[in-house]
Amino acid sequence: MNKFLTTMMVVLSLPLAAVAQTPAWNELKGELKAALESKGDPVRGEKAFDSCVGCHRKDASGRTSGAYPRLSGQHATVLIKQIADIRAGRRSNPKMEPYLDDHALTAFEIADLAIYVQGLPISSENGKGPGTGVAAGRQIYDRDCASCHGGKGEGNAEKFYPMVAAQHYNYLLRELKFIRDGDRRNANPDMVKAIKPFSTADLEALADYMAQLAPPKK
Amino acid sequence: MNKVDRDRSHKAGPGRAVVVIAAVLAAMLAGPAAAEDAKTIAATVCVACHAGDGNSVIPMFPKIAGLQEEYIVKQLKDFMSGRRKSDIMAPVVAALKAEDVAPLATYFSSQKMKAGEAEDKKAVALGKLIFHDGNEETGVPACVGCHQPEGVGHVIYPRIGGQHATYVAQQLKNFAAGERNNDVSRYMRVTAKRLSEEEINAVAQYIAGLGAK
Repeated sequence: MNKFLTTMMVVLSLPLAAVAQTPAWNELKGELKAALESKGDPVRGEKAFDSCVGCHRKDASGRTSGAYPRLSGQHATVLIKQIADIRAGRRSNPKMEPYLDDHALTAFEIADLAIYVQGLPISSENGKGPGTGVAAGRQIYDRDCASCHGGKGEGNAEKFYPMVAAQHYNYLLRELKFIRDGDRRNANPDMVKAIKPFSTADLEALADYMAQLAPPKK
Repeated sequence: MNKVDRDRSHKAGPGRAVVVIAAVLAAMLAGPAAAEDAKTIAATVCVACHAGDGNSVIPMFPKIAGLQEEYIVKQLKDFMSGRRKSDIMAPVVAALKAEDVAPLATYFSSQKMKAGEAEDKKAVALGKLIFHDGNEETGVPACVGCHQPEGVGHVIYPRIGGQHATYVAQQLKNFAAGERNNDVSRYMRVTAKRLSEEEINAVAQYIAGLGAK
């Protein structure tokens, strides 16, 4: 009986242990927590943004090729989480990582950067898709994406869901594939689950639709 | 100053007033005198390689005229501490006094860097592309991001517009190899490593032709 109980306890505690070992995708700790709790200063943020301009451009519009995303207008919470995740090695981004791997960069400066960039106007001159997938993309989006990313692609600042409207087509497509194939690593598990069954054609249609969405009014 | 003296100097009284007046006088005198010293050093020491006004005419030696003041201070201090290694600059800075650094930086930063010319015209097109757009394939940021349009520089990012192509290319190669490692946040080491030799030479050519004509 004793042996049975012990075995049962071990078996029951296994899933708990597994959960404890894998931190939640949005667990608030360390730099991420400190940056989110810090009240960012956009004036300092503008200065800190100097070293991002070489890739993301002065207006944070990124590259229409999609090589680098548009950051302007993105929720500060999303920006903070992505920066903190890349710095902590939770999101894989080999091109950007060495530029963020700066011991001098503090959680406060990350918050400054994020609040500055969030306040920048969003250009609608983003990289668009072929346009042929918009109708199919809208169907998939409304069915599977809108409940989190919003009916107009506006995202959800509180929940770290990025604004996806008016983002560059090739960037959207690349990240959708990364998330589906497990290469992005820091995505919400619900997102990974939702996107798993999508074919590449589905993702192309989705990206096509989201890229042509108008920049959300703020 | 030992501890007793220090304690005394903090007490109010005629002794302290004298110290304060002396300090103010010394500061007033130091300004112009230091500037004169800097000009003398420039005209007798720096001139050999960098020319008296900092517009070196020898391609392997950088133009230092019009570089950012903060940047010159940092480079001189880095040469002094050995953080930036140079067999040529090491003995030169060894003969400098620490207090020469700031006035020298003020002097050279107030000179105007003369524009140069790209010698390899065929390389300029690729150089221009790298300067303004970087290389998205290999993750090279555009130079213009930090070094600003026309390469005029910005606070800690040095002016590069008009700099000798030979010098720029050599520094990029030194950064790539890690031989030069006094860059802020490793930005230049990371960036230079991502550049191909063709891109390094091309961007150096383009940079040489920038600046006010």
